[in-house]
Amino acid sequence: MARRVRKVIRYTFTYILLLLLALLMTGPFLWLLSVSLMPGRNVFSNPPAIWPTFIDFGNYVQVWSYMNFPKYIMNTLIITVLGVVFNIVLSCMTAYPLALFRFKGRDMVFALLITTMIIPSSTAMIVHYLTIQWLNLGNSYLGVVLPAAVSVFNIFLMRQTFQGIPSEIRDSGKMDGASELRIWWQLVLPLVKPGIAVIMLLEVMAFWNNFLWPIVVLDDPEKYPLASALTYLNGQFSYNFGWIAAGTIISVIPIILVFLFTQRYYMEGLAGAVKG
Amino acid sequence: MRWMRTETFAAWAFMAPGLLIVAVFVLWPIIYGIPLSLTDYSVIGETHYVGFENYVTAVQDKSFLTSLWNSLVYVLIVPFIQIFSILMAILVNTRLPLIKAFRAAYYIPVVTSMVAVALMWSWLFSNNGVVNYILLQLGIIQEQVGWLSSSSTALYALMFITMWKGLGYYMVLYLAGLQGIPSELYEAAMIDGASRWQVILRITVPLLRPHILFCTLISLMGAIRVFDEMFVLTQGGPGNATLTSSLYIYQKGLEQFNFGYASALGLIVSVIVGALSIFVFRLNRRGGVSY
Repeated sequence: MARRVRKVIRYTFTYILLLLLALLMTGPFLWLLSVSLMPGRNVFSNPPAIWPTFIDFGNYVQVWSYMNFPKYIMNTLIITVLGVVFNIVLSCMTAYPLALFRFKGRDMVFALLITTMIIPSSTAMIVHYLTIQWLNLGNSYLGVVLPAAVSVFNIFLMRQTFQGIPSEIRDSGKMDGASELRIWWQLVLPLVKPGIAVIMLLEVMAFWNNFLWPIVVLDDPEKYPLASALTYLNGQFSYNFGWIAAGTIISVIPIILVFLFTQRYYMEGLAGAVKG
Repeated sequence: MRWMRTETFAAWAFMAPGLLIVAVFVLWPIIYGIPLSLTDYSVIGETHYVGFENYVTAVQDKSFLTSLWNSLVYVLIVPFIQIFSILMAILVNTRLPLIKAFRAAYYIPVVTSMVAVALMWSWLFSNNGVVNYILLQLGIIQEQVGWLSSSSTALYALMFITMWKGLGYYMVLYLAGLQGIPSELYEAAMIDGASRWQVILRITVPLLRPHILFCTLISLMGAIRVFDEMFVLTQGGPGNATLTSSLYIYQKGLEQFNFGYASALGLIVSVIVGALSIFVFRLNRRGGVSY
């Protein structure tokens, strides 16, 4: 009996801790949601408005008509899709020979890549700006995406994944006379789908939330992605709290949904990436 | 044309596009930053070689020194993130019902953009905001505190936001580490009658060492490079209270287009970061447990 009671007490205690922590981590979002649904109420009233006393989508309707959200969502989608596709294709291509080929200079290339990960580069953004201007890619989405089109981290991650593939697969493809490109595309890539999914999820989050580099590259605010547009809105309408709250909620909903639906792969992949 | 069929050719053909991007956007900034820092390059006017003038200016630049100091203070956040994330990971490392929902909830701040997170906390931290209200109700503070507008608290308020956003990320990494620890070790400790805290301090923490090293290094880099929070919320103010080195480099480089000077500042910070990471690496290599 005593053991049972102790167990119940421990469970209750654990759940109280879990709930308190959940309140700390999601409470701010719920509060923001709550005030975004209360137009006309001054958020900075005393005591502050915490609970929704009534529900009204006025803020959403107004900010939606003011801000041209479909446009910003479209911009964000273009940047995210471009960035994700570049990262998947380039890291799969670069990592493949590093994991499965034997050629002179392989270890050297890999060592060089790893070294660039360790060297900190605070000046990078300034040189990136000059490079993008020089390539004539200012004010273009390609200019937004290119500096992050492939990361050494992703190459490293895919190399780990490719190394788990038996070399017989490549040999059998060669015996049948398939080209290297065809072996890669038809035989090898289908086997590394979990690795690709991890890169995809990590990069979706990164590109969706990126706001600073788009501001630097894009001269035209009409081309901004959501997160950049939000800083812009905040600069212009910092007094209109309800609008910004509604805009913020609109901007975080898609990415939270993506996360909730893919969290299993996402968290496992992230954890696996560290072990690798 | 036979060489085109060799493995070496195929390898380089596969790697070429990726390596080109890495060369242009990872290697080139590191290489080009050095000569750039020895010039007065900016958008207007001619460019001259100025030798080490930028470096001499930098060590006398009060704002830069303040920003460096603020960045170093910001590093104080790193141990807090590690301790809280490990405790969170231990808490959620069970098979209780709904535990996955809790893990997901703790991770939501990680996936949302820093812009959204920063805006949200700026209202929570305002004078009539929820944070002051709760702390007043609980009797922890006696009067309203201007968390982000007072130069004595602004940097710490930003540190809290950074930590709040990052906790879930490190929690997942530590959780992976915890799940890799063989359960026999815990069973053996239980049989020997070890207490919960003894188990955590004698078994869990030592075996998490590689994860702690990894997470410490990442969050150290993050703390030194911290930028988004300041950019959205304080622009370095009030005064220079939240001016960090990345923000200052950004202001000099991409707002004032003083590329030469900004590059010099960037290189100084890079050297400091490099030295710090080597220090952490060394510190962690001593001792250690393997299993």
